[in-house]
Amino acid sequence: MSERILLGIAGLLAALVLGLALFWHPELPDRQLPKAATVAGGDFTLESASGPVSLQDFRGKLVLLYFGYTYCPDICPTSLSATSEGLRQLAPDELARVAMLFVSVDPERDTPGRLKEYAEFFHPQIIGATGTSQNLAEIAKRYGVFYARQKVETAGGGYVVDHTSDTYVVGTDGALLGKIAHATPPDQVVVAIRKYLNQKP
Amino acid sequence: MKHLSLLAVGLMFSAGVFAGAADTVSVQDAYVRLAPPNAPATGAFMVIKNNGEKDVKVLKADNSASKVTELHTHLNEAGVMKMRPVSAIEIKSKSEAVLKPGSLHIMLIDLKAPMKEGDVVPITLSFDDGSSKVIDAKVVRPTVAPAPMDHMSHKH
Ligand SMILES: [Cu+2]
Repeated sequence: MSERILLGIAGLLAALVLGLALFWHPELPDRQLPKAATVAGGDFTLESASGPVSLQDFRGKLVLLYFGYTYCPDICPTSLSATSEGLRQLAPDELARVAMLFVSVDPERDTPGRLKEYAEFFHPQIIGATGTSQNLAEIAKRYGVFYARQKVETAGGGYVVDHTSDTYVVGTDGALLGKIAHATPPDQVVVAIRKYLNQKP
Repeated sequence: MKHLSLLAVGLMFSAGVFAGAADTVSVQDAYVRLAPPNAPATGAFMVIKNNGEKDVKVLKADNSASKVTELHTHLNEAGVMKMRPVSAIEIKSKSEAVLKPGSLHIMLIDLKAPMKEGDVVPITLSFDDGSSKVIDAKVVRPTVAPAPMDHMSHKH
Protein backbone atom coordinates (compact mmCIF):
# COMPACT_ATOMS: atom_id res chain seq x y z
CA MET A 1 0.00 0.00 0.00
CA SER A 2 2.68 2.48 1.07
CA GLU A 3 4.70 1.35 -1.93
CA ARG A 4 1.81 2.38 -4.15
CA ILE A 5 1.67 5.79 -2.52
CA LEU A 6 5.40 6.19 -3.02
CA LEU A 7 5.09 5.17 -6.65
CA GLY A 8 2.24 7.61 -7.01
CA ILE A 9 4.32 10.41 -5.53
CA ALA A 10 7.27 9.53 -7.73
CA GLY A 11 4.99 9.60 -10.77
CA LEU A 12 3.58 12.98 -9.81
CA LEU A 13 7.06 14.38 -9.28
CA ALA A 14 8.19 13.05 -12.65
CA ALA A 15 5.16 14.65 -14.29
CA LEU A 16 5.88 17.92 -12.51
CA VAL A 17 9.50 17.98 -13.64
CA LEU A 18 8.47 17.12 -17.18
CA GLY A 19 5.77 19.79 -17.06
CA LEU A 20 8.26 22.38 -15.88
CA ALA A 21 10.73 21.42 -18.57
CA LEU A 22 8.03 21.73 -21.23
CA PHE A 23 6.20 24.83 -20.13
CA TRP A 24 8.54 26.86 -18.01
CA HIS A 25 10.24 29.50 -20.11
CA PRO A 26 12.12 31.82 -17.80
CA GLU A 27 11.93 35.48 -18.81
CA LEU A 28 15.26 36.59 -20.17
CA PRO A 29 16.54 39.63 -18.35
CA ASP A 30 16.46 42.83 -20.40
CA ARG A 31 19.80 43.36 -21.99
CA GLN A 32 20.76 46.89 -21.14
CA LEU A 33 23.11 48.96 -23.19
CA PRO A 34 26.22 49.70 -21.16
CA LYS A 35 25.31 52.73 -19.09
CA ALA A 36 27.86 54.93 -17.27
CA ALA A 37 29.84 56.99 -19.76
CA THR A 38 28.09 55.98 -22.98
CA VAL A 39 24.65 57.52 -22.55
CA ALA A 40 25.63 61.02 -21.49
CA GLY A 41 23.76 62.59 -24.39
CA GLY A 42 24.54 66.25 -24.86
CA ASP A 43 24.51 68.90 -27.56
CA PHE A 44 25.44 68.49 -31.19
CA THR A 45 25.08 70.25 -34.53
CA LEU A 46 24.06 68.53 -37.75
CA GLU A 47 23.14 69.59 -41.27
CA SER A 48 19.51 69.81 -42.45
CA ALA A 49 17.99 70.94 -45.74
CA SER A 50 17.45 74.38 -44.23
CA GLY A 51 20.94 74.71 -42.75
CA PRO A 52 22.67 73.66 -39.56
CA VAL A 53 20.44 72.31 -36.83
CA SER A 54 21.59 72.10 -33.21
CA LEU A 55 20.03 70.41 -30.24
CA GLN A 56 20.36 73.76 -28.41
CA ASP A 57 17.86 75.24 -30.91
CA PHE A 58 15.12 73.24 -29.22
CA ARG A 59 15.61 74.28 -25.59
CA GLY A 60 12.20 74.49 -23.97
CA LYS A 61 10.91 71.63 -26.15
CA LEU A 62 10.93 67.91 -25.64
CA VAL A 63 13.11 66.46 -28.41
CA LEU A 64 12.63 63.01 -29.88
CA LEU A 65 15.76 61.69 -31.56
CA TYR A 66 15.80 58.79 -33.96
CA PHE A 67 18.88 57.43 -35.66
CA GLY A 68 18.36 55.61 -38.96
CA TYR A 69 18.67 56.01 -42.74
CA THR A 70 16.37 56.41 -45.73
CA TYR A 71 17.41 53.16 -47.43
CA CYS A 72 16.17 51.35 -44.33
CA PRO A 73 13.59 48.93 -45.68
CA ASP A 74 11.50 48.21 -42.61
CA ILE A 75 12.73 49.29 -39.20
CA CYS A 76 12.85 53.06 -39.74
CA PRO A 77 9.43 53.18 -41.44
CA THR A 78 7.99 51.09 -38.59
CA SER A 79 9.44 53.32 -35.87
CA LEU A 80 8.72 56.57 -37.67
CA SER A 81 5.13 55.70 -38.51
CA ALA A 82 4.39 54.70 -34.91
CA THR A 83 6.02 57.85 -33.53
CA SER A 84 4.38 60.17 -36.04
CA GLU A 85 1.00 58.58 -35.40
CA GLY A 86 1.68 59.31 -31.73
CA LEU A 87 2.49 62.94 -32.60
CA ARG A 88 -0.80 63.19 -34.52
CA GLN A 89 -2.68 62.10 -31.40
CA LEU A 90 -1.24 64.94 -29.31
CA ALA A 91 -3.25 68.08 -28.65
CA PRO A 92 -1.96 71.11 -30.64
CA ASP A 93 -0.53 72.76 -27.51
CA GLU A 94 1.30 69.54 -26.64
CA LEU A 95 2.63 69.10 -30.17
CA ALA A 96 3.93 72.69 -30.07
CA ARG A 97 6.21 71.62 -27.21
CA VAL A 98 7.69 68.65 -29.07
CA ALA A 99 10.39 68.50 -31.75
CA MET A 100 11.63 65.46 -33.59
CA LEU A 101 14.92 64.83 -35.37
CA PHE A 102 15.56 62.00 -37.76
CA VAL A 103 19.34 61.63 -37.82
CA SER A 104 20.77 59.65 -40.72
CA VAL A 105 23.77 57.48 -39.87
CA ASP A 106 24.29 56.94 -43.62
CA PRO A 107 25.61 60.33 -44.79
CA GLU A 108 27.11 58.73 -47.88
CA ARG A 109 23.65 58.21 -49.38
CA ASP A 110 21.45 60.54 -47.36
CA THR A 111 21.77 64.16 -48.41
CA PRO A 112 19.87 66.74 -46.32
CA GLY A 113 17.43 67.29 -49.19
CA ARG A 114 16.70 63.60 -49.47
CA LEU A 115 16.24 63.39 -45.69
CA LYS A 116 13.77 66.26 -45.64
CA GLU A 117 11.46 64.57 -48.16
CA TYR A 118 11.72 61.28 -46.34
CA ALA A 119 11.10 62.65 -42.83
CA GLU A 120 8.20 64.89 -43.82
CA PHE A 121 6.42 61.95 -45.44
CA PHE A 122 5.86 60.65 -41.90
CA HIS A 123 5.14 63.93 -40.15
CA PRO A 124 5.71 67.55 -41.27
CA GLN A 125 7.32 68.29 -37.90
CA ILE A 126 10.13 65.73 -38.27
CA ILE A 127 13.44 67.34 -39.24
CA GLY A 128 15.88 65.21 -41.22
CA ALA A 129 19.55 65.84 -40.49
CA THR A 130 22.94 64.25 -40.89
CA GLY A 131 26.63 65.08 -40.51
CA THR A 132 30.10 63.84 -41.26
CA SER A 133 30.95 60.27 -40.34
CA GLN A 134 33.20 61.51 -37.53
CA ASN A 135 30.53 63.83 -36.14
CA LEU A 136 27.92 61.05 -36.26
CA ALA A 137 30.25 58.52 -34.63
CA GLU A 138 30.95 60.92 -31.79
CA ILE A 139 27.23 61.67 -31.21
CA ALA A 140 26.38 57.98 -31.39
CA LYS A 141 28.97 57.20 -28.73
CA ARG A 142 27.52 59.79 -26.38
CA TYR A 143 23.95 58.59 -26.87
CA GLY A 144 24.69 54.86 -26.84
CA VAL A 145 23.58 54.47 -30.45
CA PHE A 146 25.00 51.56 -32.37
CA TYR A 147 25.18 51.33 -36.15
CA ALA A 148 27.25 49.27 -38.53
CA ARG A 149 27.32 48.74 -42.27
CA GLN A 150 26.59 45.26 -43.57
CA LYS A 151 27.37 44.21 -47.09
CA VAL A 152 24.21 42.98 -48.80
CA GLU A 153 24.49 42.43 -52.53
CA THR A 154 20.81 42.88 -53.32
CA ALA A 155 20.37 46.06 -51.27
CA GLY A 156 20.43 49.32 -53.19
CA GLY A 157 24.02 50.57 -53.07
CA GLY A 158 25.36 47.21 -51.89
CA TYR A 159 24.93 47.64 -48.14
CA VAL A 160 22.43 47.99 -45.34
CA VAL A 161 23.08 49.66 -42.00
CA ASP A 162 22.17 47.79 -38.85
CA HIS A 163 21.18 50.27 -36.19
CA THR A 164 19.62 50.65 -32.76
CA SER A 165 15.98 51.53 -33.21
CA ASP A 166 14.86 53.18 -30.00
CA THR A 167 13.73 56.79 -29.97
CA TYR A 168 15.76 58.93 -27.56
CA VAL A 169 13.94 61.51 -25.49
CA VAL A 170 15.76 64.73 -24.62
CA GLY A 171 14.26 67.05 -22.03
CA THR A 172 13.49 70.75 -22.36
CA ASP A 173 16.87 71.48 -20.74
CA GLY A 174 18.82 69.30 -23.17
CA ALA A 175 19.34 66.40 -20.78
CA LEU A 176 18.79 62.87 -22.04
CA LEU A 177 15.69 61.56 -20.24
CA GLY A 178 15.19 58.11 -21.65
CA LYS A 179 14.14 56.03 -24.64
CA ILE A 180 10.95 54.88 -26.31
CA ALA A 181 11.44 51.29 -27.47
CA HIS A 182 11.16 50.31 -31.14
CA ALA A 183 7.66 49.23 -32.20
CA THR A 184 5.96 50.94 -29.26
CA PRO A 185 2.34 51.36 -30.45
CA PRO A 186 1.18 54.96 -31.10
CA ASP A 187 -1.11 55.18 -28.07
CA GLN A 188 1.78 54.22 -25.82
CA VAL A 189 4.04 56.69 -27.64
CA VAL A 190 1.53 59.35 -26.62
CA VAL A 191 1.59 58.16 -23.01
CA ALA A 192 5.41 58.29 -23.00
CA ILE A 193 5.57 61.76 -24.59
CA ARG A 194 3.05 63.12 -22.08
CA LYS A 195 4.96 61.58 -19.19
CA TYR A 196 8.16 63.31 -20.33
CA LEU A 197 6.36 66.56 -21.11
CA ASN A 198 5.03 66.77 -17.57
CA GLN A 199 8.34 65.79 -16.01
CA LYS A 200 10.05 68.70 -14.27
CA PRO A 201 13.65 69.09 -15.42
CA MET B 1 -21.22 -0.04 -60.70
CA LYS B 2 -21.52 0.42 -56.94
CA HIS B 3 -17.82 -0.29 -56.63
CA LEU B 4 -17.03 2.28 -59.25
CA SER B 5 -18.88 5.05 -57.46
CA LEU B 6 -17.17 4.08 -54.21
CA LEU B 7 -13.87 4.36 -56.03
CA ALA B 8 -14.85 7.78 -57.31
CA VAL B 9 -15.75 8.93 -53.80
CA GLY B 10 -12.46 7.52 -52.56
CA LEU B 11 -10.56 9.40 -55.24
CA MET B 12 -12.34 12.61 -54.36
CA PHE B 13 -11.34 12.19 -50.73
CA SER B 14 -7.75 11.46 -51.55
CA ALA B 15 -7.69 14.48 -53.84
CA GLY B 16 -8.52 16.53 -50.77
CA VAL B 17 -5.82 14.89 -48.72
CA PHE B 18 -3.16 15.19 -51.37
CA ALA B 19 -3.99 18.71 -52.49
CA GLY B 20 -0.94 20.89 -52.99
CA ALA B 21 0.15 23.57 -50.58
CA ALA B 22 -1.40 26.19 -52.85
CA ASP B 23 -4.83 24.69 -52.11
CA THR B 24 -4.43 24.23 -48.37
CA VAL B 25 -2.83 27.57 -47.70
CA SER B 26 -4.88 30.73 -47.36
CA VAL B 27 -3.52 34.24 -47.11
CA GLN B 28 -5.15 37.09 -45.22
CA ASP B 29 -4.54 40.80 -44.77
CA ALA B 30 -1.88 41.03 -47.46
CA TYR B 31 -0.49 44.53 -47.96
CA VAL B 32 2.59 46.29 -49.21
CA ARG B 33 3.77 49.23 -47.19
CA LEU B 34 3.95 52.37 -49.28
CA ALA B 35 7.65 53.21 -49.44
CA PRO B 36 8.51 56.70 -48.20
CA PRO B 37 10.05 58.97 -50.86
CA ASN B 38 13.68 57.98 -51.54
CA ALA B 39 13.32 54.55 -49.96
CA PRO B 40 14.37 52.02 -52.58
CA ALA B 41 12.80 49.03 -50.85
CA THR B 42 9.70 48.13 -48.92
CA GLY B 43 8.03 45.19 -47.28
CA ALA B 44 4.99 43.05 -47.99
CA PHE B 45 3.14 41.67 -45.00
CA MET B 46 0.37 39.10 -44.55
CA VAL B 47 -0.87 36.19 -42.50
CA ILE B 48 -0.26 32.84 -44.19
CA LYS B 49 -2.50 30.07 -42.84
CA ASN B 50 -1.82 26.41 -43.40
CA ASN B 51 -5.16 24.59 -43.17
CA GLY B 52 -3.64 21.33 -44.41
CA GLU B 53 -2.32 18.23 -42.68
CA LYS B 54 1.26 18.75 -43.75
CA ASP B 55 3.78 21.43 -42.83
CA VAL B 56 4.42 23.79 -45.71
CA LYS B 57 7.34 25.99 -46.61
CA VAL B 58 7.32 29.13 -48.71
CA LEU B 59 10.60 28.94 -50.59
CA LYS B 60 10.30 31.96 -52.83
CA ALA B 61 8.25 35.04 -53.50
CA ASP B 62 8.10 37.02 -56.73
CA ASN B 63 6.53 40.29 -57.74
CA SER B 64 6.63 42.59 -60.72
CA ALA B 65 7.04 45.90 -58.89
CA SER B 66 10.62 45.40 -57.70
CA LYS B 67 13.75 44.03 -59.30
CA VAL B 68 14.48 41.68 -56.41
CA THR B 69 12.14 39.86 -54.04
CA GLU B 70 13.46 38.17 -50.91
CA LEU B 71 12.13 36.40 -47.83
CA HIS B 72 13.41 38.20 -44.76
CA THR B 73 13.28 38.32 -41.03
CA HIS B 74 14.55 40.61 -38.30
CA LEU B 75 16.78 39.67 -35.42
CA ASN B 76 16.80 41.93 -32.40
CA GLU B 77 20.30 41.77 -30.98
CA ALA B 78 20.56 43.96 -27.86
CA GLY B 79 18.28 46.57 -29.37
CA VAL B 80 19.91 46.47 -32.80
CA MET B 81 17.39 45.28 -35.37
CA LYS B 82 19.15 43.26 -38.02
CA MET B 83 17.36 42.38 -41.22
CA ARG B 84 18.51 39.14 -42.79
CA PRO B 85 17.32 36.98 -45.69
CA VAL B 86 15.86 33.58 -44.78
CA SER B 87 15.82 30.56 -47.09
CA ALA B 88 12.21 29.63 -46.28
CA ILE B 89 9.18 30.56 -44.22
CA GLU B 90 7.72 27.46 -42.61
CA ILE B 91 4.05 27.18 -41.75
CA LYS B 92 3.23 24.19 -39.58
CA SER B 93 0.10 22.18 -40.24
CA LYS B 94 -3.02 23.92 -38.84
CA SER B 95 -0.94 26.92 -38.00
CA GLU B 96 -0.03 30.30 -39.42
CA ALA B 97 2.95 32.50 -40.16
CA VAL B 98 2.50 36.17 -39.38
CA LEU B 99 4.49 38.46 -41.65
CA LYS B 100 4.62 41.86 -40.01
CA PRO B 101 6.93 44.86 -39.69
CA GLY B 102 9.99 44.13 -37.59
CA SER B 103 9.53 40.41 -38.10
CA LEU B 104 9.16 37.99 -41.00
CA HIS B 105 8.36 39.78 -44.26
CA ILE B 106 8.67 39.72 -47.99
CA MET B 107 11.11 42.35 -49.12
CA LEU B 108 10.60 44.21 -52.37
CA ILE B 109 14.06 45.52 -53.20
CA ASP B 110 14.91 48.08 -55.85
CA LEU B 111 11.46 49.31 -56.77
CA LYS B 112 11.06 49.81 -60.52
CA ALA B 113 8.79 52.82 -60.06
CA PRO B 114 7.37 54.70 -57.08
CA MET B 115 4.17 53.08 -55.84
CA LYS B 116 0.93 54.84 -55.07
CA GLU B 117 -1.44 54.24 -52.21
CA GLY B 118 -4.13 51.82 -53.38
CA ASP B 119 -2.00 50.15 -56.06
CA VAL B 120 -2.24 46.38 -56.11
CA VAL B 121 0.92 44.29 -56.27
CA PRO B 122 0.45 40.63 -57.24
CA ILE B 123 2.89 38.48 -55.27
CA THR B 124 3.56 34.86 -56.20
CA LEU B 125 4.35 32.54 -53.31
CA SER B 126 6.13 29.32 -54.28
CA PHE B 127 5.86 26.36 -51.95
CA ASP B 128 8.18 23.43 -51.28
CA ASP B 129 5.90 20.97 -53.08
CA GLY B 130 6.23 22.90 -56.33
CA SER B 131 2.82 24.54 -56.16
CA SER B 132 2.41 28.29 -56.11
CA LYS B 133 -0.21 30.88 -55.33
CA VAL B 134 -0.69 34.47 -56.43
CA ILE B 135 -2.00 36.92 -53.88
CA ASP B 136 -2.94 40.54 -54.38
CA ALA B 137 -1.36 42.90 -51.90
CA LYS B 138 -2.70 46.42 -51.67
CA VAL B 139 -0.30 49.31 -51.20
CA VAL B 140 -1.03 50.93 -47.85
CA ARG B 141 0.39 54.11 -46.38
CA PRO B 142 2.35 53.38 -43.20
CA THR B 143 0.30 54.87 -40.41
CA VAL B 144 -1.13 52.82 -37.60
CA ALA B 145 -0.13 49.19 -37.28
CA PRO B 146 -2.42 47.38 -39.73
CA ALA B 147 -4.54 44.31 -39.27
CA PRO B 148 -1.96 41.49 -38.99
CA MET B 149 -1.07 42.74 -35.51
CA ASP B 150 -4.40 41.31 -34.33
CA HIS B 151 -3.11 37.83 -34.97
CA MET B 152 -0.25 38.14 -32.51
CA SER B 153 -2.28 36.71 -29.67
CA HIS B 154 -2.66 33.28 -31.21
CA LYS B 155 0.84 32.96 -32.57
CA HIS B 156 3.00 30.24 -31.07
CU1 LIG C 1 13.70 43.09 -45.32
